[in-house]
Amino acid sequence: RIKGQQLPPRKRLLAPSRGQRGLSAETGLPLTRSFGYCPSQPRHRCASQGCLYLGCFVKPDSGWKKPRRIQPTPYRLETEDKISSAACGYGFTLLASNTRDITKVWGMGLNKDSQLGFQRSRRDQTKAYEYVLEPSPIPLPLEKPQQTRVLQVSCGRAHSLVLTDSEGVFTMGNNSYGQCGRKVVEDEIYSGSHLIHQLKEFDSRVVQVVCGQDHSLFRTKKGSVYACGWGADGQTGLGHYDITSVPTKLQGDIAGVNIIQVSSYGDCCLAVSDEGDVFGWGNSEYLQLASVTETTQVNVPRHLPFKIGKVKEAACGGTGNIVLTEEGNVFVWGYGILGKGPNLTETAEPEMIPPSLFGCSDFSPDTRVAHVRCGLSQFAALTNRGELFVWGKNLRGCLGTGRMEDQYFPWRVTVPGEVVDVACGVDHMVSMVRSFT
Amino acid sequence: MAAPGLAGLFAVYKPAGVAWSRVREALETRLLRELNAAPQRAPRQQVRFLPRPAPEGGGAVELVAASVPVLADHPLVRGPRFRKLKIGAGHRLDVKASGVFVLGIGHGNKLLTDLYNCHLTKVYTVGGLFGKATDDFSDTGNLIEKTTFDHITREKLERILAVIQGTNQKALLMYSNIDMKTQEAYELAVKGLIRPMGKSPPIITAIRCLQFALPEFQLEIHCLHETQQYLRKVVHEIGLELKSSAVCTQVRRTRDGVFTVDDALPRTQWNLQSIQEAIRNCQLKVQTELEKTLAAHEENSPLHQLDGTQLSMLCRSLREQHNTAESCQRGDGQQKERG
Repeated sequence: RIKGQQLPPRKRLLAPSRGQRGLSAETGLPLTRSFGYCPSQPRHRCASQGCLYLGCFVKPDSGWKKPRRIQPTPYRLETEDKISSAACGYGFTLLASNTRDITKVWGMGLNKDSQLGFQRSRRDQTKAYEYVLEPSPIPLPLEKPQQTRVLQVSCGRAHSLVLTDSEGVFTMGNNSYGQCGRKVVEDEIYSGSHLIHQLKEFDSRVVQVVCGQDHSLFRTKKGSVYACGWGADGQTGLGHYDITSVPTKLQGDIAGVNIIQVSSYGDCCLAVSDEGDVFGWGNSEYLQLASVTETTQVNVPRHLPFKIGKVKEAACGGTGNIVLTEEGNVFVWGYGILGKGPNLTETAEPEMIPPSLFGCSDFSPDTRVAHVRCGLSQFAALTNRGELFVWGKNLRGCLGTGRMEDQYFPWRVTVPGEVVDVACGVDHMVSMVRSFT
Repeated sequence: MAAPGLAGLFAVYKPAGVAWSRVREALETRLLRELNAAPQRAPRQQVRFLPRPAPEGGGAVELVAASVPVLADHPLVRGPRFRKLKIGAGHRLDVKASGVFVLGIGHGNKLLTDLYNCHLTKVYTVGGLFGKATDDFSDTGNLIEKTTFDHITREKLERILAVIQGTNQKALLMYSNIDMKTQEAYELAVKGLIRPMGKSPPIITAIRCLQFALPEFQLEIHCLHETQQYLRKVVHEIGLELKSSAVCTQVRRTRDGVFTVDDALPRTQWNLQSIQEAIRNCQLKVQTELEKTLAAHEENSPLHQLDGTQLSMLCRSLREQHNTAESCQRGDGQQKERG
């Protein structure tokens, strides 16, 4: 049932609001000036596409619209605050804003393991909702709720991580493998749990949190990486295949290396150092790490010797990986729909996707890919012109192309604005969009 | 009367303010005048026995043989040798627009249909003016609204242009009727060769801002299947997106397929000799483009449905046009005698 929350009415963007009228001297026609939108502050909004069935997100005005199971094109989500970070998990979404107000994080979708915190049910004050159909605020046990800012959120299969600037990392959700960073309690019931754990013991301030399927990675300011959670595929990178319930520092090839970015979504993990090297560990059943080893599980971070140039950003999916180099070239490897047509289904060495597919041509030679993101079996690339290109498996319309077929090469998604960031999930995606003018 | 050996495609620069049909008629009149003014063949001679009064006198008449021209061959009896020329027009331009206008003469008209089926892009230079909105989107229409435009910057305009280009790129891929799941579609997409080869709504393949001086701006637009009124509407919509309004002041076609402004003949050169030279210069370009497009889109074009004999006939007709144009070049200035 939808909560009876009144949302602000949708403002029409394109029609200029009739402002002050003055008579123009030449023809006597009134001069229209459109104001109401301050030109220096373009509006920010969220758009999402994909599976609606589980209520990963819901249309705010669904009170009068017929509810749909699938949203094949981007749909705008109305929120009161400007969203600075979003993350898609396996059936749920988290949105965070870096305001100083009390409410900083909203969540929607599955809540069977309390991955969205405790959502008090209106009918019964003691019970919690198992499905949240609207972006609902998540209460965080902050010491200074009016000073702390939320920097980033991340979602895994059934757990979520919230990174703050001064109070460490908050974890909630399923902890059967220790992915929340606390000791595993036997037969713990996660549904309707109030427990949100706080993690503070790292060598320096945590600057990035990443959730894999059932493990968590933390990157600190000093460039070291900590991991906890399930390790049967070696995705914790700690040298063993057991579960870890306390965040532990990773060694291996990344010991002493300043890591500037970590990424994971399934059971494989990638890290990028400040010198442009790529390190990988975890599952390698899909040839993700086959360039260095034949084994299918790697439990210690290994350097991947690719000769593709200095790497700027990496993203890891369920079966495929993608990196972006300093020159703006995009390389993919792994298994699945990689983006070079239906013939390329698996490769152990990175293959470049031609830049002409991202809109770079003789007419606009400065178009370059700025960011790359990965979902479980989809890829997304953002260009410096604010365009979003997606490819991969189109589960329940998550690519947002308007069609239900899989997309074998990068395809532009029509979004009414400049896309600033995108978060990919299993069967839905959320993008943060800035309006044009 | 059969074709005088003048056959092929050429481009003309249509000035603004005249309808395209007037241009075609003016060219036809001019060519006919020049063709008819050329020296005609001498009239046939025949031997006739003309009566002459006898030198003896007294009313007797004797017949003398004389070779006289046949009266039926007299120009005043026959009339002008050429009364009509088959001149066909390519992609039309409306009254307010100007620019490259492709025409075909004689057998060249068949090439016009082939060029149309190639679906090549056309390039326009479109001038716009911010601050006004009229009913027919051009600066000569009835004024509907005036708005302010001081908030518009070049950066905002370029962002809007990027959006237009992106949405039209999607339309391009969608209307090209290629199965997105094939490797071939991927390869064509990489090369940028995917084009709709059938009917489609107007599609803009590329758009960029050439000049920006408030309130005026100039855009270069590459498009397919468009009309000039559609381009004016695009200017109007750009004005709306920027929260102001705009009218279109100029639409000038700078390229139509393979014909550019350099190939287009200005009004001073609308005569027989320049036209023949223009046909000669362009025929090679046209032929290579046709062959390239027909080869690249073999599987998708309806030509694939033609069987071997029809295809060879089409190729033969292409070659014939080439030969005709060549022979026309050889017979420059001479009038061929064709029954």
